[in-house]
Formats: sequence, structure tokens, C-alpha cells
Amino acid sequence: MSNTAVRLAGITKRFPGVVANDQVDLTVEKGSVHALLGENGAGKTTLMNVLYGLLQPEEGDVYVDGERRDFRSPRDAIDAGIGMIHQHFMLVDPMEIWANIVLGQEPRKYFGLTVDEQQAIQEVRDLSERYGFDVDPTETVEDVSVGVQQRVEILKALYRGADVLILDEPTAVLTPQEVEDLYGVLDELTAQGKTVIFITHKLGEAMHSADDITVLRDGESIATVPADETNQDELAEMMVGREVLLEVDVPEHEPGETTLAVDDVTVTDSDDIDRVKDVSFEVRGGEVFGIAGVDGNGQSELVEAITGLESPTSGRIVIEGEDVTGHSRRQRIEDGMAYIPEDRHERGLVMDFDLVENGLLGSQHSEPYSKSGRIEWDTVRGHAEDIIETYDVRPPNADADAHSLSGGNQQKFIVGREFERDPSVVVATHPTRGVDIGSTEFIHEELLDLRQRDRAVLLISSKLDEVRQLSDRLGVMYEGELVDIVDPEETSEEEIGLLMAGERPDGIETVRKTGGKP
Amino acid sequence: MDRTGLRRRATGVTVALLAIVSIWGILQPESAAGELFWTATETGTIESSLRLAVPIALTAIGGLYAEKSGIINIGLEGLLIISAFVSVLVTDLLGPGQSTGIPPVVTFDLGGSTYTIDPGLQLLIPNIWVGLAGGVVASMLLAFLFGVICIRYQADQIIAGLAVWLIALGLAPFAAKVVYGQPSTAQVGTFDNWTIPVLSEIPVAGEILFDASPMVIIMLVSVPVAWYGLNRTSFGYWVRASGENPKALDTVGVNVDRVRYAAVLISGFFSGIGGTALSLGAVGSFSGAGQTMVDGRGFIAIAAYLFGNYNPFGAFAASYLFSGLQALQIRLQGIAPTEVFLMLPYLVVVIVLVLVGRTRLPEAAGEHYESGED
Amino acid sequence: MSRARDVLERLVGASGAERAVISVAALALSIVVGGLIVFVSGLGAACEAGANYHIAIPLPGSFEILLFDGRLSMFGFQSCYDPINVYEKLFIGAIGGLPWESGWQPTNFSMEVFLQRATLLLFTGLSVAVAFRAGLFNIGTQGQMVWGALTSAVAVLFVADFVPAGVAGTVILLPLALFAGAVAGGIWGAIPGALKAYADANEVITTIMLNFVAYYATTLLVREFFQDPQSTGGTQTRMVPVNSLLPSIPLGFQESRFSILALVLALVLAAVVYYVLWGTSFGFDVRTSGLQPEAATYAGVDAERTIVRSMTISGALGGIAGALWVLLANGRFLTGQEVPSLGFDGITVSVLAGNNPIGVVFGSVLFGVLKSGGNTLNFQTDVPPELVNVLSGLIILFVAMPEFFRLIGKYLGVGDEPAPAAATTDGGEEDG
Repeated sequence: MSNTAVRLAGITKRFPGVVANDQVDLTVEKGSVHALLGENGAGKTTLMNVLYGLLQPEEGDVYVDGERRDFRSPRDAIDAGIGMIHQHFMLVDPMEIWANIVLGQEPRKYFGLTVDEQQAIQEVRDLSERYGFDVDPTETVEDVSVGVQQRVEILKALYRGADVLILDEPTAVLTPQEVEDLYGVLDELTAQGKTVIFITHKLGEAMHSADDITVLRDGESIATVPADETNQDELAEMMVGREVLLEVDVPEHEPGETTLAVDDVTVTDSDDIDRVKDVSFEVRGGEVFGIAGVDGNGQSELVEAITGLESPTSGRIVIEGEDVTGHSRRQRIEDGMAYIPEDRHERGLVMDFDLVENGLLGSQHSEPYSKSGRIEWDTVRGHAEDIIETYDVRPPNADADAHSLSGGNQQKFIVGREFERDPSVVVATHPTRGVDIGSTEFIHEELLDLRQRDRAVLLISSKLDEVRQLSDRLGVMYEGELVDIVDPEETSEEEIGLLMAGERPDGIETVRKTGGKP
Repeated sequence: MDRTGLRRRATGVTVALLAIVSIWGILQPESAAGELFWTATETGTIESSLRLAVPIALTAIGGLYAEKSGIINIGLEGLLIISAFVSVLVTDLLGPGQSTGIPPVVTFDLGGSTYTIDPGLQLLIPNIWVGLAGGVVASMLLAFLFGVICIRYQADQIIAGLAVWLIALGLAPFAAKVVYGQPSTAQVGTFDNWTIPVLSEIPVAGEILFDASPMVIIMLVSVPVAWYGLNRTSFGYWVRASGENPKALDTVGVNVDRVRYAAVLISGFFSGIGGTALSLGAVGSFSGAGQTMVDGRGFIAIAAYLFGNYNPFGAFAASYLFSGLQALQIRLQGIAPTEVFLMLPYLVVVIVLVLVGRTRLPEAAGEHYESGED
Repeated sequence: MSRARDVLERLVGASGAERAVISVAALALSIVVGGLIVFVSGLGAACEAGANYHIAIPLPGSFEILLFDGRLSMFGFQSCYDPINVYEKLFIGAIGGLPWESGWQPTNFSMEVFLQRATLLLFTGLSVAVAFRAGLFNIGTQGQMVWGALTSAVAVLFVADFVPAGVAGTVILLPLALFAGAVAGGIWGAIPGALKAYADANEVITTIMLNFVAYYATTLLVREFFQDPQSTGGTQTRMVPVNSLLPSIPLGFQESRFSILALVLALVLAAVVYYVLWGTSFGFDVRTSGLQPEAATYAGVDAERTIVRSMTISGALGGIAGALWVLLANGRFLTGQEVPSLGFDGITVSVLAGNNPIGVVFGSVLFGVLKSGGNTLNFQTDVPPELVNVLSGLIILFVAMPEFFRLIGKYLGVGDEPAPAAATTDGGEEDG
């Protein structure tokens, strides 16, 4: 027992309508990296939230260092030496790094009335040096890169005396190079006796970084295997419960004329920083043009300029030969542009509207749904019902409010609504983010179907494998610039990864570092 | 133009306007600008500007704590109304101009004979100061109610704030009518000036700062204390984290709800002193006709802390700007119809809001936070 | 007809029903808390003997079921006020007594006041509802009313000299009065709308500030230009000519302070507002902006223009309320007094109605009762009529906390299970 850092026994956690964890067992050895592998919704994060005291299980026991524990809050878990690095960093952006790290346990002076800034900075600096992190405690969080922010999160846990570190999908926001750095950090941590639990849905990462791998599926633990005694195919089968084709079947198709042209577009934000710098590319009908890049390198701003949500500072957007730069968002819709937005909860759907009304979103001024300013509700309802049927939205009830649907079904409804416009140009941003595997396959097929029908598809995704597999040509963005356009079939993942980090594969830096927030 | 640029421009415009009036006024003492400048710099005007700034500045300081913690307290106006009334009421019930001793002399009947417990040594507190305590307690109670609704029962903060305002707007005149038969109270007198020996002998500054209403002195002390509390203490860090990213605070084991309750109570505390300063500090009574004597100062306070970018010093400066306009209005009647001066502060608030409209609010301001949701 | 079903569903659908339940519960709770306030404040009031509590269910004739008769005390003090009696006066007095009592006339004075206030509140309630639906907290209905009232009065006084007397003049003057009011209110509403849209100035504060500005500005204008030379005290305009007033046909109220025409106009406008919000593309834009501005922009809604338009419509409705306030209540514009409370009560009416135009009809009837009953309180009891304002604030407070009633509902076992949150299946593990 003494060699076990954490043991979870028979954890069951239910949410209304869902059993997130069903009798899950997990044993983690001291000083090891343990991967928790599973699809979205498999219950990995829920399980770790239980271990971190954020959630209380209905059944089951938590043992830390062989001792049974009952965590009522994160405070209890922290006291027991557990630290968690969430996928969305729990940092206060406008505060300095040292303040974030000591938050809640600030060293004080003057009878406890004042935070001892000097001592806090010194403590953080010492800690950072001990683990070989390159972190300047006096910088403000919002001014440093995502990779550094992640290290701040790890330091935060270490400062609180964590022996067990839980990392929730730590690579999702990192470039391939930053991922390598992270592996180095993990090695350093385990070398100094810390235990790491690593939540991921990426097989390769689990294989590469972990000593042991536990696979979760549908809230149940399937198996725990040592990483060097398994292979990716076996893990994939355990994850999905069936053999999966990891490759998407992309049929041959000859693209036609240029449908969408982006010409020298620059977007400047309210703080006078160029978010997009002189980006030019063309998307032909019958072609999927992918844009890869780490989140926050100008993709969102570029998409907003193309779709008419923001106007570019300079440059032109041309659809089928017509300059639409000055067209409003509404005109862009009428120009034949469909847009799957990156955040369905904020933009893609009105959560308190039912599907009838959500089906109208974007067409509320267009025939046949609206005639001389009057909405034809019968037509609108029929339209929503068509989308629900064609795109297999469940439950098939047009009167259901959008917030009552699962993420995958919400996304399918958006995809359906946008594709039913019979667009000439489709802009799809992160179309499968947070979507289950079945819906992902479905959405990929629909995108390829549009390509077969000679529509121009612009696909923006932070999932490198997704854009690589679906795209005919692939542009890479870094700090607002389109660094290069490559043929995804002839370019390796590593090469694209280097481009995403702003470096040429031959090692020559092509992009000046402006030091701004990525 | 970015946010900081806009704020800089707003401040720049203000300073430039003040400078133009000043220079013109000095060069042409006979002109309207001259009269404005010389009146504005009279000791009397500065004194009354400071006195008029107290309710706005203190309320702004309280409000910025609440908003920094993530609770937009649009009900500050209501807190001012209730404390302005209760402080007068308490003073009046205990006897204006008299003092209350602590511990009190207790008299009771037991088996036909009367016993009196006299503690002998008593701390005598002027009733007007007990009134202040009463006003502060009333304001904090109402703030606590607001906090419970927003934090515990997840109400929309704007609607809840409006409710607090409207309840106070109804309750104070209602209670005044019950007790006094009219929407206004009796006259109970005001605070005596505090004169600090030696320091008050300093010309001009001594007169203004060290021979002043205790309310003014409380305000002048509160501004730096509030700044220090927000920027140098652990609690201040928690308040700011709670408003920017409550989850960050929650996951390091600090109870977000408690921080927010504390911040809302602080807004009640300062508004309580502010409301008392309005009634007991200046007039010695409460008037509840129309919009009551508070007349929108709670909302002006919100504009003040937005203009001051959540910095207590900035909020104080903005409050002084607004109150300076009021002070001038009293002194410059005759230049233009009264109404022009009466509406001026409100118009200036609108202009200020236009200039600082894109103030960066705390990231999580206005949002309900529930621990444990993922 | 699916459209008819849509309409029906929106009125009585699950969430609509929940809203209605919450509104009724909030109302009931406010009345209970208000009663407590009355009782407690009665402890502090001066009176010779405590109020005699006579709690009974009245029946037709002089029959009643007696529940309690006697005095109540707390800490040895007797309260001077009896909440039950107060509410009886408030609600029954509002319509001048119980309809089956002898001597009750449907055209009594209280009834007239009630109908007039309900009509005016219907306009201010609609004004607030339109803005709230667009996600804009228009607290400025008061100021919009004031401008609408002054402009309408001045326009009528100016034009009256050029139009024929009698009904022919009415046909010109009435629409003119309403139009002038709508334009002035609309402009005064558009200002904070534009400031919000183009400078991001918080509309709650700007509208409240503009209320004060409107008050002082109209006072100044009247005093300098439009003052009634015969007025001895107040700042007010001359009386508008009789033929511009709304005819009080056919009910025959004594004071002609209510006209069925105004009520019909209000009801028609409620229907129109409902239709615009739910039946037109513009209304869809407004509602989308109100719920999720980002989604609205995505759907091609011009956010700035929608804000300005919504505020203009809201202001125009407030302006019409002002015009009718002149035509119905006073016959002239005068400063101060009860305009503010009509504007603010519009907020309560709308919030209570869930910002639904049809609900506003019911809300304004309720508040018409409270306003008229407030008068009765003033005449017949020692309890200050400001009680109505306290109730108004309490109602908003309780409507604002649906979670409170859901918890109570859950405790009593009548609430529904919360809908399975989508977050549990995909929220936790974004970016798959």
C-alpha cells in the first residue's frame, strides 16, 4: 500500500439524467505519470473533480496515501496534498503571477494586515527555480504565453504542497513544441517524487507520457494497463468499445473556380494591436481549405472579418468575384455564406429559444420565412422539423429549448441550419469541439459532401488531425500571420507543428515575436 | 481608440476644461469664467464641495468594492435613502442634542419595589453618533438582504438592485409619515465640526481639512484606507479575484460567497455613513418628498467609481467634480436659472458615462457563481 | 393551426406557467411582508387604542364568517394598524366598495381613478416591457412621460387656435396630442439608446440621470415660456381646450377622468406590441438581442440600430402615456406630483408580467387597483399610501428571485426536476 499515492474505490457520481461515474476504480502509483484516457463525456473530469473535492460522489471511497479521505471542498483536497490544473486555467488574468500563485495563502506582514509582496515573490522564484521553470513572478498573467500560464498553474499547486498533480487535458492549448516542454516538466516533477495524473483523450499522448494508462468509457473504468505493454489500436478499441477507423475517407475531387478570396486582410483590435496581419488566400469551389494554429493566433478575428462580424482594418473579402468587404453580416448571409461559429452557446444558438426559433436565426429577414417583415411561422416550423429529421437531431422535438439538447445535437442542428441555406461558402470553426464521436463523424461527412457539391469550405480547427485529414490545402496561422500554405498529405505533423510555433522546419524564424498575448 | 486612451481623453478633457476656466478666470477676473474660477477656489466653496462630496465618495467606495467582487450593486441609492432616514430617526427617538450612556442605567419592577442598576461609570455617546450607527446598521441590513438575493437566490443583480432602491424609496417616506405624519422628519441638528488643534491653524488647508465636519474627515481617511484594503491586503486580493475569476478563488479554497457577502456589506457600511452624512451631516433632517433628499446620488456614485476606474482615489476625485458643480450651483445662483445648475450634475454624469462607457468591468461582474459547477 | 398553438404555448407553456406561478407567489409574499411592515409600523405610530382586528370573510348582504375579533400585540405594544383592514381598504376601496353592496355604482370616483391609472400603467408597462425584452433596462419611462406630456400639451395649446371648435377639432387635436407625445418621448428614449449603442454608456444610470434632467428642463421651459398666467402656485401650463380631451363616452363618469377610448387604444397597443415582438422579423431581432446579443450579431442583427429602435419605441410608448396623462388626468401639464411613480410602477408592472405585453394588461389592472386603493388609504386610514410603493419594490424583489420559489417548490414537492443540463455531458470536457 505504501507505494500507492491515490486510490479511488467504487466511485459513483450521478447528474440529473446521467451517470457520469459508475463504480469507477483507480489506483495510482507514487512517483508515476498515470494517464486517464477516454472520450469526451467518458467521465474523466468528473472523476478527477471528485478526487479534488469539487464534487462529492454518491458512492465510493477516496484514499490518499492509504488513508481514507472525505473531501468536502477543494480546500480539503489541497490539505491532503492534491493539486489540480484545470483545462481552463483558474488564473486571474489582470493579476501578477506571484499573486495568482499565493492566492488564498498569501504571506503577510504587519500583524497579518498586509500581503508581504517581497516574500511572496521570493518564494515563487525559489519554487520556480527548483523545478527548472522559466517563470518571472512579477509579470501579469495576461501578458504571458499559454505555456507559461500552465506552468503558473503547476506552481500554484506545488506552492500549496501538492504531491499529486492532476492535469486536465493539458495539451489542448499547447503547440507541439510546448507539449514537448510539458513532458519535460512532468519528468522533472516525477523525478522529485511527485505523482501526476494526466487526463487526455489523445492516445498518442497517453502512450508517450504515461507509465500507466486507465481507460474510461461511458463512466466506467475499462482497464488499467502499463503503457509499454499496450498499443494504440488496443487502447482505441477500449476507448470506443468498437474498432474505429482513425482515418477519414476523403474521396478524390477536382476543385473548380475560386469562390472565396481573402486579400491582404488586416484586423486591428480596440487596443491597437494587429490580430490578423496581411492574410491572403483563396478557397475554390469543391475544396476544403483548412487553417491550423494554436487557439488565439488570430483565427477568430480572421473568421469574424470573413463572416462580417467585424470589419477588417484593410484588405478585401471577395465571394464569387464580388467584393463583399463592405457588406454587413446580414448581407453576407444573403451573399450565400454559411457560418458554424466557434461558440454555440454564445452565438450559434439562443439557448432560451426553442428549435423552431433557432432554425430561423439568420434567416429572419429572408423569404420564404419572412414576407414583408412578417414571420411565416408555419414555414419556419417546417424548416426546423426538416433540419431535425435530415441531420438526426435528438430528441426530434422542434419545441424543445436549445439548452435542453446535448452538445452534439446542438451542433448538428447548427450544421443543419447553416448547410440548408445552400451556401456557396461555408466557414466552419471548430465544428466538432465538444461533440461526441458519432456526431463528429456525421459532421465530417457533411463537410465532405459539400465539397463534393463544389462548395468552398473554410475549416478552422485547433485539432491538427482533423484539419490535416479533411483539408485539400492547409494554411497555418501564427501571431496573426498566415505563415505558410502546405499540402497536408505531404507535410508531417511535426513540420506543421513547427509552423504553428512560428518556426520554419529548417529552423529559420520567419515571424517576428511581438511579445503580445497569443 | 482603446479603453485606456478613452479614459485618458476623458480625464484630459476634464483637466483641460478646468485649466481653460482657471487661466481665463485669472486673466479676466471680471468675466463669467473669472467669477466661476474665483468662486470655485474660495475656501467656502471648497469646504462645501468636500461636504457635498461625502455621500457620493463614500458610496462610490463601497460600490466599487461590491462590483470588484463581482456584484454590481445598483441599489446604492436605496442604501443611501434608508440610512439617511434611519440615522435621523434614531437620533430623534433618543433625543436630539443629548447623549446615551453605555452601559445603560436599567430600572425594573420586581415584586412591587423598583430596582435600579446604575453602572456608575458610563461612556456617554452623543445621540447623533448613535444615529450614525443606526443608519449604518440599517444600510448594512438592506445590503445584506440584497446580497442574499443575489448570492443565495441567484437573482439578476440589476433587477434586485432596482428592487432595493424602490423598496427604500417607498419605505423611508412611509415610515416618516407613520412617525411624523409627513414624508419628512423633524430637525435634529448636525454634527459639530472637529477642530484639530495646531493643524487647524494652518492657513487655508488647515481651515478646510482640520476644522471640518467629522463626515469630511471620515471620508478623507476612508479613501486611502479603502485603497490600501483593496490593493495591499489578502482580502483585497480575494475581492479582485472573486470579480475576475471566482473559480480561481474557489479552487484555492477561499469561499467566494463569503468574499462577496463581505464586499456587499462593505458597500452597505460606506453607503450607511454616506447617507448619514447627507442627512445628519448637512441638513439635520430627512426629506422624503419625490426622489427623497438623496436625489440620485447613489447612481452618481456608480458613475464616480466608473470614472475613477475602481480606484478609491479616482472615485473621490470624480465625486469632488460632481459635488463641486453642486457647490457652485448654490453660490452662483443668479447667473442662470436655478434649474440649469440643478440639472448640471446629472448632465455631467451622462457625459462622463459616455466618455468612460467602455470601462473594463471585472470579468465576472454581474454573473452568479455557483461553486462546484463545471 | 400551428401558429395559434405557438401563441397559446407561449402564454401557457411550461416556462410561461412557471413564470405566472412565480409572479403570483411573489405578489402573495409581498402582500404578507407588506402586512408585517404595516403591523410593525403600527407599533410605532401614535394612537389612542390598538386597532381592533376583525378578520372575517364577507358574504353578500351583511353576513360574514368571523375568524378573529380582538386586539393583537407584540412585546406588550399594540399595533395601531390592522393589516387586514388596510388591505381591505386598499383592494376593495380601489373600486369604491364591493359590487354587490347596496349603493355601489360602477361609475363611482374610485372606479374612475382605478380605470384611469390602469390605462396609464398599461402604457408605461408596455414601454418598459419593450425595452426589457431587448435587454435594455429603461428606467427612464418617467422622463419620457414628462417630455411626452409637455410636448403634447404645448402642441395642443398651439394648434387649438387654428382648428374648429367641437368634434371637428377633436379629430385633429387628439391624434396630434398623441403623436406629439410619442415623438417627444421617442426622442428622449432614443438618446440613452444611442449612448448605449455607440458609447456603451450604462443605460440604467443614463436613463435615471435623464429623468432628473427632464424634470428640471421641463420645469424651466414651462416657467419661462408656457406658464399659465392665472396660476397662483404651481408651475403649469394653461388648460388644453375641452374638445381635445378624450370624450368620456359612454360610461358616464362624473369627473371625466377616464375614457374607454384610451383603454381601447391601450389594449390595441398591447396587442400590437405582442404581434411586433413575436410575429415580425424586427421583433425577432429585438428578442434575440435581448437574450443573447452575440447570437443576434451572428444572425445578422444590427445591434446598435436595434438598441436605438427599441429604446425609441419604448420612449414613444412612455410619451403617449404622458400625453394621456395630460388629456385624462389633468387637462394640462404640471410639474412634480405623480408622474414619477407612474413611470416607476411601469417597471414593476412589466417585471411582474415577465415583460410579456399580454401579462402587462393584467399587471396594470393590479397596479391600477393598488394606485386607486392608495388614495382610499389616504382618506380612510392613518396608514400612509406610500405603502403601495413599498409593495411595488417588494414585488420586484421577489419576482427577481425565482430560485427562491423553486427551492420552496422543491421543498413542498411540487417543483419539477431540473432539466438535465447539457453541461454534464459535454461542458466539462470541451475541446475534444
